[in-house]
Amino acid sequence: MFSFLVRRILATIPVVVIVALFVFSLLFIAPGDPAAVIAGDQATPEQVERIRESLGLDRPFLVQFSEWAWRLMHADLGRSIFTNLPVTTMIAQRIEPTLSLMLITLLFSIFVAVPVGVLAAWKAGTIIDRIIMGFAVLGFSVPVFVVGYLLAYVVALELEWLPVQGYTPIARGVWPWLENLILPAIALGFVYIALIARITRATMLEVLQQDYIRTARAKGLAQTPILFIHALKNASVPIVTVIGIGVALLIGGAVVTESVFAIPGLGRLTVDAILRRDYPVIQGIVLLFSFVYVLVNLGVDLIYTLIDPRIRY
Amino acid sequence: MDRRTFLKISAGASAFAASGGIAAPAIAQGAAAKTLRFVPQANLANFDPIWGTQYVVRNASVMVWDTLYGFDENLQPQRQMVEAEETSDDGLIWTFKLRSGLKFHDGEPVLAKDVVASLARWSARDSMGLMIKAIQQELVAVDDRTVKWTLKKPFPKMLLALGKNSTPMAFIMPERVAKTDPFKQIEEYVGSGPMRFAKAEWVPGAKAVFEKFDGYQPRQEKASWLAGGKNMLVERIEWVVMPDPATASAALQNGEVDWWENPITDLVPILKKNRNIAVDIADPLGNIGSFRMNHLHPPFNDVKVRRAVLMALDQEEYMRALVGDDNNVWKPVPGYFTPGTPLYTEEGGEVLKGKRDIAAAKKLLSESSYKGEPVTCVVAQDQPITKAMGDVTAELLKRLGMNVDFVATDWGTTGQRRAQKSPPGQGGWGMFHTWHAGADCVNPAVYTAVRATGDTAWFGWPNIPSVETEVAAWFEAKNLDEEKAAIARLNKAGLENVIYAPTGFFMGYQAWRKNVSGIVKGPIPFPWGVSKTA
Amino acid sequence: MTPPPADVVPLPAAAAPTLPDLWPPVKIRRGFWGFLRRNPTIAIGGALLLIMLFIAVFAPYLGTVDPTTLNTPRRTRAPSAEAWFGTDMLGRDIYSRVLYGARVSLTVGFAVAILASVAGLTIGLVSGMVRWADGLIMRVMDGLMSIPSILLAIALMALTRGSIGNVVLAITIAEIPRVSRLVRGVVLSLREQPYVDAAVAAGTRTPMIILRHILPNTLAPMTVQATYICASAMIVEAILSFIGAGVPPIIPSWGNIMADGRALWQAKPFIVFFPAIFLSITVLAVNLLGDGLRDALDPRLAKAL
Repeated sequence: MFSFLVRRILATIPVVVIVALFVFSLLFIAPGDPAAVIAGDQATPEQVERIRESLGLDRPFLVQFSEWAWRLMHADLGRSIFTNLPVTTMIAQRIEPTLSLMLITLLFSIFVAVPVGVLAAWKAGTIIDRIIMGFAVLGFSVPVFVVGYLLAYVVALELEWLPVQGYTPIARGVWPWLENLILPAIALGFVYIALIARITRATMLEVLQQDYIRTARAKGLAQTPILFIHALKNASVPIVTVIGIGVALLIGGAVVTESVFAIPGLGRLTVDAILRRDYPVIQGIVLLFSFVYVLVNLGVDLIYTLIDPRIRY
Repeated sequence: MDRRTFLKISAGASAFAASGGIAAPAIAQGAAAKTLRFVPQANLANFDPIWGTQYVVRNASVMVWDTLYGFDENLQPQRQMVEAEETSDDGLIWTFKLRSGLKFHDGEPVLAKDVVASLARWSARDSMGLMIKAIQQELVAVDDRTVKWTLKKPFPKMLLALGKNSTPMAFIMPERVAKTDPFKQIEEYVGSGPMRFAKAEWVPGAKAVFEKFDGYQPRQEKASWLAGGKNMLVERIEWVVMPDPATASAALQNGEVDWWENPITDLVPILKKNRNIAVDIADPLGNIGSFRMNHLHPPFNDVKVRRAVLMALDQEEYMRALVGDDNNVWKPVPGYFTPGTPLYTEEGGEVLKGKRDIAAAKKLLSESSYKGEPVTCVVAQDQPITKAMGDVTAELLKRLGMNVDFVATDWGTTGQRRAQKSPPGQGGWGMFHTWHAGADCVNPAVYTAVRATGDTAWFGWPNIPSVETEVAAWFEAKNLDEEKAAIARLNKAGLENVIYAPTGFFMGYQAWRKNVSGIVKGPIPFPWGVSKTA
Repeated sequence: MTPPPADVVPLPAAAAPTLPDLWPPVKIRRGFWGFLRRNPTIAIGGALLLIMLFIAVFAPYLGTVDPTTLNTPRRTRAPSAEAWFGTDMLGRDIYSRVLYGARVSLTVGFAVAILASVAGLTIGLVSGMVRWADGLIMRVMDGLMSIPSILLAIALMALTRGSIGNVVLAITIAEIPRVSRLVRGVVLSLREQPYVDAAVAAGTRTPMIILRHILPNTLAPMTVQATYICASAMIVEAILSFIGAGVPPIIPSWGNIMADGRALWQAKPFIVFFPAIFLSITVLAVNLLGDGLRDALDPRLAKAL
């Protein structure tokens, strides 16, 4: 097991390196000049050039890349071109909201989608199944921001049950923290729930045909233990896979959700940085995301061993 | 995990949640009345008002740093940090004496050497400052409270330069901070103004926090824009950045924020209907929309083509695209200077007035050197103002029978592209859209965009000697009448040769909750005198 | 086999007793309509999609005006007899923009689906068949997949100016890794099959092996995957426009009509509402089609896709 972990981690290094190279070159060849934006409207070309020099943006690609790679090995992600704050500080400031949003969305989605999917599988072919699957398909047909605006309007503005925007750190109390995250989590979770419900239903359907389920029924076990203990456990592997893959979806969707609900998270930071060509921030965040994705995949593989004792590394 | 453990954990969690829920409101009540939550026009991405010249940086900076002079609501510079000033008879030596008791946020007194360093940094970046620097003999601190600026030629507009509100403003920083290279950002935000910047709480792109500085000595006079006593009636100001106007509107209605700098006009009717919200014009000096044509290359190097475009341009169409049906917030501007200011003139503006004569415009176009080549029209999509104007322009050119190469891009790329002097086909441009704050269009000193010095002019590089003659005349003018005459001639020459195309004068609204009072109209959201009841 | 002994008398031809039918025989409907009745999801999805295609192709004849004509004095008017869906912030007719917008959204969806499939197929084939390239290609694909596709698309759009072509390209690049993984998976599993071994032993050249044995097996999962990519691409286009990195507004697409109107949705909800409905219906249709195809072609795919 230990050697597996080590091998996996080593295998991820080339992936991360490739991502880093890709991202760095991508933005290097992009048009759009952060120095011009910083210098402002009234600046002359000479002033823009001086700012560019002071930021080190006029040096050749290889020089800039190697310097960046060197600093990276010392866990220094550099400084933002626009705010002059260290990129690590900027990421640290905004990671809590995004992590909170993703965690709540993940928990909410799993706790809604899995039972719903099991229900659909149990009642396969009936009207309940069709309704549930209908909603599921609807779930990933409606764009996230439309759902977000609808929720904000109906729940926050009209009914005034929840706040419209913002983020409260957990240090100020668990309920205020949750209050701000409920609507965004629902909006973001729509797609995720749909995906998980579908895959749950599909795998459950297959598992429910198995002989051991028939045996359990014949033994006289009640429906709930059959469904959840025997069937679900066996169906979990693909479900957990989809949950893992879906994390990338969550990150992407967080971008929009954070914008609609004014949550000061990494998603918005990334979009702002990309549109402004704040290279160090973009590189830092993309690297972070790749790293997270790799970790999540590793976690998923480890969870497999918990669920299915037949899987060993 | 077995069931019992699960139940224990959830019981603990709910107890925690309950306690967290109860504790928060009690603390919030008292603090709430002393905290003003403001939604600014844009994100505060960096915070060096000399290095980065965006309006939002300046708006935040007026809280943190003070200036020697400040514009009042009549755009006249009034003393702020200065107690008295003296000019020598030949106008070459300016002596400024600082008020006593001025302090920085770290408790240190404001000394003349700090002023000297600050002015040196400012004059390296500001257009008027550069003019002064060019004729500067020396700038020294005579003693702890006296600064002397010796020039080689008289500069009558000195106080205007030091008190103006156009960026960069002449903020006074501690000497060690002001010694930073003007082309690099400062890293310390110790200021001389009424509010401290809480750097530890700054989340660029999301939040900025300012706290009252008790050691600030406001003047005794009544506050009037940047002049007079800057008395702070709240303890804390939080800037909450909201990129989505719909979210900001909902937040204001819900009471989650107190003051919104620039609600979009379409949302104003909803805000007006809300019983708890007050809406009013934000800045009577408004903005002048513009698109600039490239005087260096075809087709706009031919004045006939430029004039034809002006003849076909319908300012109402542009302004309606920006402000909709609201007639309170737009005016046609048949010239280059801000309506409602002393130097406003309509001289030579007939080309922009009255019903549009497309036939005559087309005729003029056919007599020009335009051969049907595509016009590279650069439009930034991420700024609502340029986005809307860009679509109107495309329609305008189509009506004229010109070919449009519509380049939809973002503000950052626009900034880079407009600096290219190469021909449009080779990475250059034919026209781009922008706008100017009315406060920056009141006279030629602050108005870079109206200068026509050719290669060293602003993007578009208009080269119109007759305009520059009048600029010089304005600088030399001895009284208001002479200034007005010079500006009238400048306007006429400018429109005849089309420095740029003004698309209209428009104002914006600001909105605040009714439990907030003391908000005034002005080019900057002034926080002094603003108070809030719970 | 020994012949039956001569003395065994063959039984008379089987004369099974005729029992009454307990259930009436199921009429197996053949042909096109029969297929549709058995697969209602394909029927519904296909029908909706065809309606959208019809709208897209025949937009000029469906009572529309030029979708780019401005009329700023008549901006943000609610739906009325003159403007069935109302007007947007520049006075343009929303009905026309939505109908013409179908062209862009459908073009983006189909183009991305086709391009990503072709490119992914090629890469997956190469990766599966050429062992030394496999490791490298899969690392690169892993790298691309670890960047959330929306962020990748935004970053790619930031490189160029907005246009339909660039949007298609950006989304395609973001979707290729998944297709290539899928194809590679199929290729790898097929490579071990006995009949492929037999073909190799018989001396069949590699291109023929790919053509006759491998490609046909990739078609089913790829088709299903392609429909999902189409649906996803249309949503990604909407999100790109929402962020401001999509198709330029001179060309109406459902995404940028919604993006234009997003600030006003509380005051004038119809600007966002109509394109949202059309987009949702279309994406729903494509998803239903995908589900139906998957169930019809190979229900086992439900676990993988």
